[in-house]
Formats: sequence, C-alpha cells, structure tokens
Amino acid sequence: MSYSVTVQELIDQLGRLPGIGPKSAQRVAFYLLKAPPEDALRLSRAIAEAKEKVSFCDRCFNLSEGGEECAICRDPRRESRLLCVVEDSQDIVAVERTQEFRGRYHVLQGAFSPIDGIGVDQLRVKELMTRVGEEDVEEVIVATNPNLEGEATAALLVKYLKPMGVRVTRLASGLPVGGDLEYADELTLGRALEGRQLLDAGDD
Amino acid sequence: MQIRSLHLTNWRSYESSDVEFGDGLTAIVGENGQGKTNLLEAIGWLAGLGSFRGAPDGALIRIGADSAILRAVVVSGDGREQLIEAELPRIGRNRIQVNRQRLPRMGDLLGVVQVTVFSPDDLELVKGGPGLRRGWLDAALVSRHPKYGALRSDLERVLKQRNALLRSAGGRLDADAEFTLDVWDSKLATTGTALRTARVELLDEMVPRLGEAYDVVARRPAAVAASYESSWDDDLSAALMTARGHDVRRGVTTVGPHRDEVRLSIGAAPARTHASQGEQRSLALALRLGADSVVRASGVAQPILLLDDVFSELDPHRAAALLDALPRSQRLLTSAVGLPTPARPDQVLYVVDGAVRVAAA
Ligand SMILES: Nc1ncnc2c1ncn2[C@@H]1O[C@H](COP(=O)(O)OP(=O)(O)OP(=O)(O)O)[C@@H](O)[C@H]1O
Ligand SMILES: [Mg+2]
Ligand SMILES: [Zn+2]
Repeated sequence: MSYSVTVQELIDQLGRLPGIGPKSAQRVAFYLLKAPPEDALRLSRAIAEAKEKVSFCDRCFNLSEGGEECAICRDPRRESRLLCVVEDSQDIVAVERTQEFRGRYHVLQGAFSPIDGIGVDQLRVKELMTRVGEEDVEEVIVATNPNLEGEATAALLVKYLKPMGVRVTRLASGLPVGGDLEYADELTLGRALEGRQLLDAGDD
Repeated sequence: MQIRSLHLTNWRSYESSDVEFGDGLTAIVGENGQGKTNLLEAIGWLAGLGSFRGAPDGALIRIGADSAILRAVVVSGDGREQLIEAELPRIGRNRIQVNRQRLPRMGDLLGVVQVTVFSPDDLELVKGGPGLRRGWLDAALVSRHPKYGALRSDLERVLKQRNALLRSAGGRLDADAEFTLDVWDSKLATTGTALRTARVELLDEMVPRLGEAYDVVARRPAAVAASYESSWDDDLSAALMTARGHDVRRGVTTVGPHRDEVRLSIGAAPARTHASQGEQRSLALALRLGADSVVRASGVAQPILLLDDVFSELDPHRAAALLDALPRSQRLLTSAVGLPTPARPDQVLYVVDGAVRVAAA
C-alpha cells in the first residue's frame, strides 16, 4: 500500500532528521496525524519561530538569539584570555552548568571524522585561528569529547594552534565525582591513571 | 564458572525450552539437525554477544517469530548467582538484564559469562587466513582484560578513519590533508604499538602451553612453534611515514597490527601449507586449549568449555586424551554419533527436534 502524496511528504521530511529511520518517521507521522490539531500546530510554530529567531553566533558559532553575536560573546564580564573549544552548542550548556568557567567559547560544529566527510574545512577551525590571532587569547582549552574523534580533533587543533604561540590545554578525563573508586569501570580508571597529575606541596 | 539453567524462547529451532545443566561433564547427543549446536550457540551468545558460528542476530530468531529470548542462571567463581536475560527483537535493539537490572550498554555483559568454544571450524585457524589467527589471539587478550577490547575497537576505528581519509585524497595529498593524516598516524602508532606489544607478550606465554596441548591431543609429540610476524620493525610511526606514498596511492593502510601474522609450524614445516589433516586438527585443538589455559592462568576467568562436535573426527585414543586434557570446569560437549567412546559424562541430554530431555545417567 502507498500513502497519499501529503502523508508521504510528511514521512519523507521526518525521515531526513538525524537518528530517525523510515520506521520511526512513519510512527511520528501517524502520531502527528492522530494528535489534536493544536498540538501539531504548536510544534510547527515552534520550529518556524526557532528558525526565525535563532541563528549561529558570528564569532563563536554558538546558538544565538536576537543578534549577530550570542549572549556569552556580548557579555563584557567574560574573560577573553581563556577560550574553551567544544564540538557542539550542547557542550557549552554542560560547561556553563559547572559555573567554573568565566572565559569564552568556540564551537567547532562537529568533530574530525573522514568517514562522515568531516575534515578541517567542515569545522570552524580557520575561524578559530582567526580569533586566536585577533583576540587577546592566552589559553585555548580543548574540550572535545573523550572519544577517538574528539581526541583526533584535539590533536589537530594542537597542530594548528601551537605555532601561533598560544597555550593549548586539554580537559582531563577521569573519574566521576561521588562514585566509589571500587565501582569505577576498568577503562575509566585506566584513563584516569594515565592522565594523573602531580600533587605539589601547595606553595606553588 | 558455571551455567545452571537456560531457558530459550524462539531461539533458532527452539520454540520454548528449559534446560538444567549439571556441573562436570555434560554430553548433548542427538541426530543431525536436532538443535545441539543451537543450544551451545545460545550460551556462547551470552558470553560474546554474538553467534560463535558467525551468524547475524537475525538468523538466531526462530523463523516466523518477532524476537528471541534467552534466560540463564550462571554462577561465577566466587559463588555469586546471576540471572541474565536477553531479548533479541527482529526490529530494534537487543535488551539485556542482569538480576533484573537493565544494562545501559550491551557491552557491559561481556565478561559476565565466559566460555571457551571448540568447534570443527577451528581447523580454519590453522588453514585459513591470518585474520582468523589475529582474532584468536585478540579474543584471549580481551578475556584477560576488557581494556584490550577497547584498544581493538579504537584501532578498528582509526583504520576506518585513516582509510576514509586516504580514499578521499584521491591519490594525492595537499598540505591540510598531510596534517590530518599525521593526526591519524599518531593515533594508529600508539594503539597499534600497544596491541602488538600485548599480542607478543601473550603469545610468548602461550607457546609452551600450545606445545604441551599438542603433544597430548596429537599423541605424536612434535615441536610446535608460533611466532609473531609483524608488518613493521620497531617504530610504527616511521613505518607509516615510509608507507605513506604507497598507502595514498592504494587508498588503504598497509602497515599495522591488522597486517600482522601469527606463523604456526609443526616440526620444521609451516602448518598451514605442509601439515597433514590430522596434524592440523590437533594443532587447532591445541590453539583452543592453549588460549583457554592462559586465560585460566591469569585468574580472571574460569571459562565454561563448549565443545561442539569435535570428537567425531578423533580416534578413541585421541578423544580420550582430549577429554583428559580438559580443565575440570563445567564441560558441555555435543555429538551426533552417540557418546565419544571413552567419555563418562555426569549428565546426558538428548535433543530431538528442538526439545531437550535428560537421560537417566
Ligand atoms: N532461525 C531459525 N528458525 C528455525 N529453525 C532454525 C533456525 N536456525 C536454524 N534452524 C534449524 O535448526 C536446525 C539445526 O540445528 P543445529 O545446528 O543445532 O543442529 P545440530 O543438532 O547441531 O546438528 P548437527 O549434528 O548436524 O551439527 C536446522 O534444522 C535448522 O533448520
Ligand atoms: Mg551441530
Ligand atoms: Zn558567541
């Protein structure tokens, strides 16, 4: 059996979303068709409104609402000395939740992955280099994911940034806080051991 | 470790069956095509999250059914009893629970059930390509420590990424591509070197055990050797650099642990090309026994032994020698030709058309 053109179009559009295969697309489409009209309209309005109001920041490529630059780039209290490089905007939310970081960000919009056709040109690397050259950045903190692609991206950034004379650091990957050492899985514990740090007397 | 009971729903030829296993030696007998291997395959799946026959998960679900379910009670070395439940649906992800707790990642099951599988296909370890021997060695590494599983998947991913980059370069590299290739090369160099070091160490430990096992099952002692032949000398980074031009033209990575070989020989002759059928079969058994023995020696696992149809090819003397050489943990063997003559099983299970019956021993 085949669906009407209208229904098929809805399924096709949903199927183009990341992580949604043909089966899920069908399920979501039928859910929407059965839902009260207000619900479906609210979703379509939310999409339209977000697309209209939200764009990417000209400077750091974070999501930005109401302006060329995002709220963090516009905030004068943020230190421009420290620049934290992340893969995606969601990662900024995670770092911000710690309330530990008062510097600025740069979003690469992905990680280096030739399998997915993502190389230097697909990431915001050249833009990062321009910023490091023009802004008074002293330290770039590379906070890409602790997986293979994230590590490769970090190594790549080091290669590009080191010659520019800026300090480049990497987030340590280690043990979850609040967990018992005895319950940490071998891999996490192993990585934490590899990334161990020197404890000094504290008089710096 | 031990498996106490196994329930199967819509697994291969089984519609719904419950099997209780004794400790010691269990013989699973029945005519061809009745479901003996299917039963061992279910236990193997819980240990390795896949079929030891290499069948895709879809083939494990009974034809006409939507999902297969396995439920096993296992006892680990320290006496802890665990209930493992796995559901393999035709559509969607597999689901696994241990003691009624859903596992967040499938891989967390690895190591809960440990098995050593012997099958007639093992002959390929001796006769087949080098990938099978690398897989044999790596599987023993992973049984000893899960970090080697992570190392292997990192390596596979680096190779995929590097090869994708090589192919996209289309035969020539610009400056940016050289730069990015450097990054993958350095990842490949660290993971590759770590894997080779681990393999070589394990093989060193394995060789004397291989020799002993061979002498037992072959009943004609011979000097068995296994040597690691690497695709690079001592510096993988340098070797990758030397091969770079070649790799770029071919679009593949030509040095690394994925191109290494484990050479087996009996006496002075290479086993793959010179040994007789019987010698090759004995060596294949020795490879399984040797790997099982290094895993046991490390103390991390006391695997259940699954012997699928290995006695039909052995004369009674060699069958007796093999039975005798097996470690005294739980042993499950299948046979379509009745019991191997010298076997004195503690339990006999008859399999007829997907139903399992306990025979009065
Ligand atoms: N997904 C499935 N659904 C239904 N039946 C299946 C499925 N997969 C395999 N079978 C059946 O299971 C039977 C094979 O079972 P198995 O390989 O366990 O036999 P066996 O007892 O080990 O035989 P042999 O002595 O020949 O090795 C075959 O008849 C096959 O058709
Ligand atoms: Mg069989
Ligand atoms: Zn910004």
